[in-house]
Amino acid sequence: MLFRRIYQFLIVYIIGILLLLMIKTGLSLSDYVIPGVALIVETAGEVTKEYFFDVLNTLSVAVLGQALSIALAFTIGIAGRKSSWVGSFIKVTAYNIQAYPIVALAPIIFILLGDGFITRLLIASMICYFPLLLSVLGIMATPVEDIEHFYNVTGRMRWQLEVKIRAFENLSKLTTVISGSATLAMAGTIVGEFIAANAGIGYSIRIALYQSDLAKILVALFMIGIIISIYQGFLETIGEQIKTKWSISNGGEVL
Amino acid sequence: MRLECNNLNFTYPGSRIAVINNLSFSMKNPGFNSLFGPSGVGKTSLAKMIANSNFKSNSDIVTEEIDTILYSYNLERLPGWSSTGKHLNKVTSPENQSLKEQLIEIFELNDVLDSRFSKLSMGQQNRMNLIRYLMQDFDLLIMDESLANVDEKLRETIILAIKELFSDKMFLYISHNLMEVSKFCSQILVFGKSPEKKECFVIEGQDCKKGYLLDKKLLDMTMLEIMNAF
Repeated sequence: MLFRRIYQFLIVYIIGILLLLMIKTGLSLSDYVIPGVALIVETAGEVTKEYFFDVLNTLSVAVLGQALSIALAFTIGIAGRKSSWVGSFIKVTAYNIQAYPIVALAPIIFILLGDGFITRLLIASMICYFPLLLSVLGIMATPVEDIEHFYNVTGRMRWQLEVKIRAFENLSKLTTVISGSATLAMAGTIVGEFIAANAGIGYSIRIALYQSDLAKILVALFMIGIIISIYQGFLETIGEQIKTKWSISNGGEVL
Repeated sequence: MRLECNNLNFTYPGSRIAVINNLSFSMKNPGFNSLFGPSGVGKTSLAKMIANSNFKSNSDIVTEEIDTILYSYNLERLPGWSSTGKHLNKVTSPENQSLKEQLIEIFELNDVLDSRFSKLSMGQQNRMNLIRYLMQDFDLLIMDESLANVDEKLRETIILAIKELFSDKMFLYISHNLMEVSKFCSQILVFGKSPEKKECFVIEGQDCKKGYLLDKKLLDMTMLEIMNAF
């Protein structure tokens, strides 16, 4: 799982670099516009260590923001799973807010809170929260009729059991959604750092942008890609382990 | 104990064809009764209506001494996070534990209590599902093809055991097995085939109990009567 993610990223990254080099060669562009391989390697040697810690800094905010989003999405998703007016209200609100590009609200947060950690965290959380909420709502609001019927007709159904049944039946979907939201959280944090931060890889990319240094940006993209691949692979592995443990520890077999 | 339908009608929303058209019948006393007929004539719809408390509130469906109605069907599943034995324990009250053990023995499920539900064969799944319903408090249990995919010999053993162990309860057994229904059921509500000429008849079955001596002539007559009622 982990290595597959890294391979996939490396393939995409190498294809991207090759395309840039083809454009550079085809249009006879200078190293100032598109750097050559030698310059990219030289820049990597200079900034890799710094960017590595910058990406870790960004990732820490993204992870925190994602954790917040997951907790909030599950709380609201579970509360809104019923077809009561509260549930309908939550669903309609979530669908409507989802339709709006949340990233456009980032400047408001910057104006209200200034730059720094909280702003990055909030933007990261907001960007990955709504897609997560919609998925959790969709899963939690859909009855697993062939399992739930018995508990409903015998009066044994409790909300905890209902949530457990629906989560268990959709464990693969939930794992995919959560690992997918890691990318959104990372994107949200980087966007936050572009406009409102004094640390993180987004901030470093902004500086490289002002310097028109594409080599630095390419190195930053490489670091982001590798680290987010490792993080996503890690989340997927945890998801697989939860699935396996959930069945084995209860006298079952591997799913 | 009485279950009665008076001029019951039902049409699914958006459909123009009535699934149940002016249906009236009465079934009395505890025992094994059946809903019989070809697919799509409204057996399951009727069963769901009987089990639905909203329908009991009007006069179309009348029950006497039947407070709790449970509806079970053959595609139900048990949750997959623990073994079937653990699930059964959870839904069985302490006073029913020995009955549960007895049923597990009769239903031949001892060997699969440590397995998860998805690892069971379809017949085992249906038997496991039926046991958990039998462990509940009920007056009328509707068994909608609850013994599908179970071999004939074991099905007979199970039906006879249920009739013996739950002699004070009423059962509505939905099955497509003409011989089985004729042999073991007391009253059989036979649904007509064509939706336009849909007429239903209640036919007396042989109601065989444990240790029965079958009169083949009578069984043939019941089966013929059912076939003619289609």
